[in-house]
Amino acid sequence: MIEAQGLHKVFGDVVAVDEVSFTAKNGLITGLLGPNGAGKTTSMRMLTGLVRPTRGTARVDGIDASKLEVRRRLGVLPDRPGIYPRLSARENIVYFGRLHGLSGETLQRRTQELIDLLDLVRVADRRCSGFSQGERMKVAIARALVHDPPNVMLDEPTNGLDVISTRAMRRLISRLRDEGRCVLFSSHIMQEVAALCDRVVVLAQGRVVADGSQQELLDQTGQDSIEEAFVSLLGGEGGLQR
Amino acid sequence: MRQFLAIFLKELTDGVRDRRSLLSALIFPISCAAAVGLLLSAVADLEDGAGESVLPMVGAEHAPQLVAFLEEAGIEVAEGPEDPQAAVAAGEPVVLVVPEDFQERLREGRSVPLQVVRDRSRHEDSVSVKRVTTAVEAWSGQLAAMRLLGRGVSPELVQPVSLSTVDLSTPSSQAAMLVTVLTMVLVLACFFCNMYLAIDATAGERERNSLEPLLLNPVRSEVLVLGKFGATVVFGAMGVVTTLGLLVLSMRFVPLEEVSLRIALASAVVPVFGLLMPVTLLAGALQLLIASGSRSFKEAQIALSLVLFIPSLPGLVFSLNPMETPDWMQAVPVLGHQLLVTDLIVGEPVSGPWVAALVLCSLLATALLLLATSWLYKREAILIAK
Repeated sequence: MIEAQGLHKVFGDVVAVDEVSFTAKNGLITGLLGPNGAGKTTSMRMLTGLVRPTRGTARVDGIDASKLEVRRRLGVLPDRPGIYPRLSARENIVYFGRLHGLSGETLQRRTQELIDLLDLVRVADRRCSGFSQGERMKVAIARALVHDPPNVMLDEPTNGLDVISTRAMRRLISRLRDEGRCVLFSSHIMQEVAALCDRVVVLAQGRVVADGSQQELLDQTGQDSIEEAFVSLLGGEGGLQR
Repeated sequence: MRQFLAIFLKELTDGVRDRRSLLSALIFPISCAAAVGLLLSAVADLEDGAGESVLPMVGAEHAPQLVAFLEEAGIEVAEGPEDPQAAVAAGEPVVLVVPEDFQERLREGRSVPLQVVRDRSRHEDSVSVKRVTTAVEAWSGQLAAMRLLGRGVSPELVQPVSLSTVDLSTPSSQAAMLVTVLTMVLVLACFFCNMYLAIDATAGERERNSLEPLLLNPVRSEVLVLGKFGATVVFGAMGVVTTLGLLVLSMRFVPLEEVSLRIALASAVVPVFGLLMPVTLLAGALQLLIASGSRSFKEAQIALSLVLFIPSLPGLVFSLNPMETPDWMQAVPVLGHQLLVTDLIVGEPVSGPWVAALVLCSLLATALLLLATSWLYKREAILIAK
């Protein structure tokens, strides 16, 4: 379970995140929807403990996000996940496994499971420098899941992926939910949110402007498509172009 | 501990696979050893080069006995130029001028005026000049002794004092310069060979966007920094070992016995390496800190090439302005290392307490730098400021 309570972040004199509160429950996919610059990445970074909130609290499974323990319960695919180009896909995954305290056969088995699951078998032992965008993303996901975390945060996981890879990614996200994990992912693409989310939190200019199931969002705005609901929540076309 | 090992091994693997890191760790020792080898053989050439020198002699035909003596002493005599002064001005090291009445004056027992034409401002000629004047004086002394003996007088009578010098001094100025260069090369190796790895593991990690995923692991920033530091030190130590080895090797090709240098590098390899280890630690920590604080790979490169200037400063200052160094300087990291390594290379004893003080100071500085680096990784600015 991931909880944000009154999260507030100021950089200099810019308010990046303004009193954001929401809860992402286990066994559900929660979507963080918002245009570019709405504060999605900063909110997520506060929830992972990498950025300290100016005010408010971020908790994972009831533990404050600033504690190192939180990282054991959390698998994160950040905004721009760089992998090590001179290591093979397998070595990239194993490295993070070791940092999580895995070793020996457990680590080898878990790594192989992820390679099979993400269809990386063909490239598993090649150096990552020549990988396609989709392959890089898969390695980054495998790396984030190597310690089998009960909570998963994905920051724009389909960015730069082609249709096939996007579909694979969506299947993976559903699968993570079906395994009972708490999944929080951010996106600026409505279709993606519509296709996947059990619950949507809409962010605009650092603030939560809506929070609920897709049906609740439609009811709240009086629109009949999620895209229209989204645009109207952002305050019309002008809001999107901020 | 496990996490430390994981980070350490990963950075080492990454460093070895990175052609740029590996090359820059190897290029320095190789090019420096080659340069020092060339420098040494140049010095050797200069010293025994006089043996092959040709002495232009004006009026050689008037003094066959002097010519014979000179040739015996290994100086080849050649036809003198028309205008000796012009020839010296044009670059000839030295010209000897014999007067036409050489034999006449000798017969009559009058002193023969010989002229040595040279340019004193050209230091590089001094070896050749010295050789010629020494030979001429020796011939004159021999002649004088024979004349005295012919008159039944012991030559020792006119030589009440026989002066000889026992040289306890430091090596010649060339040797001193060479020792400075050697020391500088060795200390620079501690900085140079691990520089690329330090940048790649910090600023490089940031630029490749792999820092954020890395920081999302349950790893304390101290452990993270120590792991990266370990790999940096291994590269630095490898660089120092290679540099030392290649220097000793390149000096083996130069006939050092023929050069009046007292360089005991080969026999001091182990203590020199031991003394340089703290510099390697310090250099690694300093470079990690600066590279971690840099915004990009390029910025880190620029900043660290300025850092390379630090170890060359003392050598530069001392060679321009030779001075007695106060004792406390031996405890200043990098500066003290250069002083003590110099002592080791020329085979002078180093004082134990000062070595201990130096090592202690270096380790303390290293620890502080590492702490500062860990603090950098705790700050969110490391992710955000780009």
